[in-house]
Parts: sequence; structure tokens; C-alpha cells
Amino acid sequence: MNARRLLAGPLGAILLALVLMAAAMLVAGVSPVDGFAALFAGALGGPNQIAETLVQTTALLFPALGICLAFRAGLFNIGAEGQLLIGGLFAGAVGSHYAMPAIVAFFVLLLCGFVGGGLWGGIAGVMRAKFGANEIISTLMLNFVAVFFASYLVVGPLRSPLATGAETAPLPPSEWLPILIPNSRLSIALLVAIALAILLRFVFSKTVFGYDLRAAGEAPEAARRNGVNMARMNVLAMTLSGAIAGIGGATIVTGVLHRFNTQLSPGYGYTAIAVALVGDLDPLWICVAAFGFGILEAGGLAMQASAQVPKDAIRVIEGLVIVVLAARRFVATQTEKTTA
Amino acid sequence: MAVDGVDLDLYAGEIHALVGENGAGKSTLANIAFGTVKPDAGTVQASGTIGLVHQHFELVGRLRVWQNILLGREPRRGLVIDAAGAKARVLQLASDNGLEIDPDAFVEDLPIGIQQRVELLRELQREPSVLLLDEPTAALAPAEIASFFTTITHLAERGTAIMIVTHKLQEVISYSVRTSVMRHGKIVGSMLTASTTLDDIAREMVGGEIPAVADRAPTTPRPCLSVRDFSAGSGSNRVTEVSFDVQGGEIVGVAGVEGNGQSPLADALAGVATYTGTLTISSSKKRPGVIPQDRHREALVMPWSIVENAILGRQHDPGVQKGALLDRKVARADAESIVERLDVRAASVDVPIKTLSGGNQQKVVVGRALLGEPDLVLAYQPTRGIDVGAAALVQSRLMEARNAGAAVLLVSFELDEILTLADRILVLYRGNIVGTFDRAEIDRAQIGRLMAGSK
Repeated sequence: MNARRLLAGPLGAILLALVLMAAAMLVAGVSPVDGFAALFAGALGGPNQIAETLVQTTALLFPALGICLAFRAGLFNIGAEGQLLIGGLFAGAVGSHYAMPAIVAFFVLLLCGFVGGGLWGGIAGVMRAKFGANEIISTLMLNFVAVFFASYLVVGPLRSPLATGAETAPLPPSEWLPILIPNSRLSIALLVAIALAILLRFVFSKTVFGYDLRAAGEAPEAARRNGVNMARMNVLAMTLSGAIAGIGGATIVTGVLHRFNTQLSPGYGYTAIAVALVGDLDPLWICVAAFGFGILEAGGLAMQASAQVPKDAIRVIEGLVIVVLAARRFVATQTEKTTA
Repeated sequence: MAVDGVDLDLYAGEIHALVGENGAGKSTLANIAFGTVKPDAGTVQASGTIGLVHQHFELVGRLRVWQNILLGREPRRGLVIDAAGAKARVLQLASDNGLEIDPDAFVEDLPIGIQQRVELLRELQREPSVLLLDEPTAALAPAEIASFFTTITHLAERGTAIMIVTHKLQEVISYSVRTSVMRHGKIVGSMLTASTTLDDIAREMVGGEIPAVADRAPTTPRPCLSVRDFSAGSGSNRVTEVSFDVQGGEIVGVAGVEGNGQSPLADALAGVATYTGTLTISSSKKRPGVIPQDRHREALVMPWSIVENAILGRQHDPGVQKGALLDRKVARADAESIVERLDVRAASVDVPIKTLSGGNQQKVVVGRALLGEPDLVLAYQPTRGIDVGAAALVQSRLMEARNAGAAVLLVSFELDEILTLADRILVLYRGNIVGTFDRAEIDRAQIGRLMAGSK
């Protein structure tokens, strides 16, 4: 991405959203300087704040990478939230039921997340491939199914007899992800996510699978006529997309909560859509975008506490970013149509 | 700049032909005159309203003829549309202009020629003093073309100024009073048609001599493609139990008006659509070389480079695929070979293909199809929408493939292209082969009649 394109697109969208948010603060009677100062102090003011920002970054990065893969294949996966939740559910159910040594737990529980999320994404992929079901609708609806399904399990079969709320039993400490910064919640999940981003970029640019996937996304008819099995690609891309989000859910269980409950995600799977778009669907830029949104997520609470700006104002920024980027894409396609 | 400093006068009672190559700026000029495109500088003046008939009709297929003609101006009776009054108005309009039409027919059921009549009537009911027609004969059979020109000649005689935008020079010579030639956005010549010749206009259009197509060399036929009782497609656009052969070393041209089964035939032969019947391909190669109809949608990934596009379709072949990875060196070598053989004008093989002109994009598609010397080449409208120079190059490469022993099936809606290239011509009408001509016995008029469905 060159500087001009960055400014015309993602960066411009963020700047515009920040300006609008400053205006909203003014209307609410808060000085934007105070508001933003509180936001950035809360997110980057010290090692603990930075660690918490990176925890949020990690939680956003997995679903954003999953969404990136689906979008690149031309599939609008809006269901990362549900895929993340089911991934976490699988990891929590297995992890709380079996005690495993650390190294085994690391792989097995991430695999559980991969399988759970993959299954959830794969359902939408199969529905699209077999019946032509619109994946935007099916993935969105499956988010609700995921929440209620998980809720049922944690108040019923999976509920810990010792727990006060609706959650599984805690995972044994041997299964917890190692912590990167002492006395913080930041685990090695961040490194897993970054490694995944690098791997994804490699897959896109160097492998035949990545070539087929991008062809399917950029020019489905040309892809179909030139050796890409579109039905298979739809299933595969949705499955992998969900699986990546599912790993993210598993890392929240093994790295942060050490148990599964349905409050696992405050909407990471939705915010991740904005992250993926701001990152221009490029895995490495998505890492940068996830950090930016991590600042907002982590700093939002501090802003609420010290500047009396409600945390929900952060959602306003995220919403505005999506609207601006979507509008830009719409304008771009319309312009292409009229000049063609 | 699409149109640059153009002065053009249209006179009442005259048919004025605006000719030029694709991309010369003809359509843009028509759109400026009509008002859909705003000029950066300059003015358009007319003594009355201006009407425009688009190259691609802007009709609602599922509405009836009268509903389309009066769309937005329906006569009302209270809150409801006065259907009887509307139909009467349409019939009156049709008879005033000497055009026969059934106001109750659904537009999507009508042949293209009649649909165009609907489009024309819709413009005429606004009684324009100037009527612009953008490539009005592009989708018409030869017989329909003659009747179309009778209609507009009649209109001109009654005082309408008419401009037809076209690239078919024979029609210009036959029907227009004045001719203006556009090249690179400028009008490079304006003349009375009677005082010029077809060759002069063509040279003016291209800005030099017309490039020649490669010569036809003697070949030894051998069986390559054999099709028996072959059916494909659905609805009105399908082929029904057709049988034909294409030998190695010959070009078989499929002549016909668009929508008579060409697309399902080509798609089924290319292996991307289902069919019934038997299809036998005797070839030592893994797949035929395919030039699909729509290069943007079916052949190329527009944001990708020439390198990435060069291997599309062969990405799973051993040699291109190395383990799970793509061999970029192979892709680059293929891209460079395409660029060299087809004289593709691009800054480098790494630029996105969407930055190339249409002609150069098509050269990439053709070059890719001919990579590895396929025994069978399926070419569907291989020169659609590209300039004369690029078209001659593409046609030459197809002829050379034939001379080297390839079997070439050429589907084209331009009869002239088929007459130039084909060793044998099949005429396709409503999914059936209604005529077969060897090169020696070609009868242009007879082919034209068969294309329109008469004997």
C-alpha cells in the first residue's frame, strides 16, 4: 500500500472517525483533548497498559485474519464472532475435562479451537456450495445459534458444579498459555497470531491454494473456467476462516480466562471486520490495524473512568470506520462501472 | 482524453455516420450530445430535443412493449394507468413511423431486431429533432439491418437529423449522407459520403494502411474435434442435437446472430458447461486453447499482473505447480513469451492487467490460449472491441495456428471476420446448423438470409 492509497482509504477513514468522535465529545460537553489523553494514557501509559492493549490486539487479530481469508476468497464471513465462541467452547470443554501436560495442551487445545471454529465456518461454506445460501446471512445467523448453543452447554452439561456462574470448570494451570509480560494477561498467543499472519501472507502470495483462493475472490467466473473448483473453494475457505477465528477463541480460554464462558468475547468477531478492512485485507497490515483497535478497546475503559466518555463511544468509531470504508468501496466500484 | 476539441454539425433530414475504432471516442461524443456525460468544455445546441438509442438496449424485459415505450409517461385515469389509451397511443406512434409492433408482447420474448424497434419507438414518442443511434446494427442479422435502415431513412426524410455511431463501413457507404471519422478523440475527417470510398474511410480510421492477415497455407486435414447429436444450454439460447467436425489444419467459423446457441456450444466444448451427445477430441494435449467471449469476466483476473494471469488455467499442471507452491519462474517465462509472440504493449509483465488497453488484454488472452501449441483452439469473438491493428494480429496468430495443424473453431458475430478466416462456415440459427459452406462456395447473401432464419 502506498501512502496516498493509505490516506485515501483506511487511514483516512480512521482520521475522519476520530474527528467525528471529537465532535461528539464536544457535543457531550467533554474536551476532546481530555478524552483522547485519557484514551491513550489508558492504552499506552505504562507496561501494564501496553500489555492489556496487546491482549486486546491478540483477541482481534485472530478473527480479523480469519475474516481476511474469507474476504480474499470473495466470501463475506460475518460470523467470526460465533466461530470464535465455538472454538473457545471446544477448547474449554476439552481442557477442563482432561488434564494435559503443557506442551500437549498447547497443541491439542489450539487444535480444538481450530476444529470448533472450522466446523462452524464450514457449515456456512457447505450451505453456500450445496444450496447457494448467502454466506452473509448464514454466518450472521450462526452467530446467534453459537451463543445459545454455548449458553445451553454451560448452564447444563458442561457447567462446573463448583462455579458460581454459567461456565466450565477451570483449566488446570499446566494448560494455561505461558505469559509474556509478568503480572499481565498477555500470553504467547500474540506470537501465534503474528506467526499466523506471516503464514497467511505466504500462502496468499506463494502457494497454488492461495492463487486459486485469490482468483476465486477477484474473478469467480474466470476462476471457475480455469481449474478452480468453486464449491470446494467455498467450503475450504469458510472452514479455514472459521478455524482461524476458532484458534483465537481457544487462546482466550487458555491464555486469559482459563475457563470457558459465553462472555468470552465482547464482540471481537464484529470489530474484527473493521480491523480486516482497515488492514486492507493484507495480513501484515491487519496486524497494525489490530494494534490500533487494541488501543481503542483497552483505552476505552480508561476514557470512561477518567473523562466520563462512555466506552460505547469506541463502538461509534468502529462503526464509522466501517461505514467510511464501505462507502469508499461502493464509490470505487460505481466509478469503475461508469468509466468502463 | 476520450473526446478532444470536437466540432460536429448535424443537419435536419440527413443521416450522418460517425465512424472510428473502438476507443476513438464515438460513444462518449454521443453521450455528451445526449447529456449523460458532461463535457469539460464546449457546448451542444439543438433545435429541439435529442434522443439516444443505446448500443445495449435499456429495456425492462419483463414488461410489455407498451409499458416500456411509455415508461414514466403512462397516461392515467385517476390513480390507475389507462392501459387501453396507452396501447392506442403506441399503435398510433408505430403506424406514424411505419413500424409494426405488438404492444402487448413481453419485451424479453422478442427477437433483438424487434427489441430495438421498441427502443426506437420509445425515443420517437418524444419527437426528437435529433436522433443519435449508438452501434444500432451490432446485434442485428443482415436482413434486419436492411429493414432498420429503411426505417431511419424514412425518419430522416421527414426532417429528423440522425447520427449513427458505427464501425461497419459498408453500412456507412450504403446509407449515410455525410461521414465523420474519429481517431484518438478527435474528428480527423468530415466528408460527403458520396465523394469518398470505403477504403479511404478505413485508412482515415486507422491512420494508415490496414494491416493484412497472415496467408492461408495448404494443410493436411486430420480428425481432431468431432461432435454428434450435441445439445447444450437452456431456454432460447441453446444448441439442439448438432453434429459437425473440425479437422486439424482448418478454421471452422460458426456464423450467426448472438443468442442462437453460440455461448452454450462454446462453453460445453470448453468443458465448463454440461451437454448431452458425444464429444470426441483427438489431441495429444491436455486441454484446448480457449479464448472466451468476455475477457474481463471469463478470462482474466483484472487486478493481477500479466505474470499471474499467464498461468491461469494451468496452475495445477506439473511444472507450474511445484509441491504446494507456484513456480514463479515458469509464470514469468510464459508471460514474457506471450508478450513477445503477441506484441503486447505493456510497461512490464508485472503491471496489473487492468492498466492495459482492451486490445492488449485480448492479446494476452489469445497468447495464453496458444501457449504450448494446442491441437484445438476454441475462439469466441476473439477480436471483439479491439482496434484494427490488434485484431489483425490476433487473426494472424489464429491463421498461423491453423497453418501449423491446429483445429480452430471460430465463433463470431461479425460475418466479415468469419469470411476472412474460415475454411468452412456453419450457420447457427435457433440452436440448429441451418447451413454449411466450404470456402470455395461461400455465398454471403445466402449466409445472411440463413442467419435471419429464412431459406
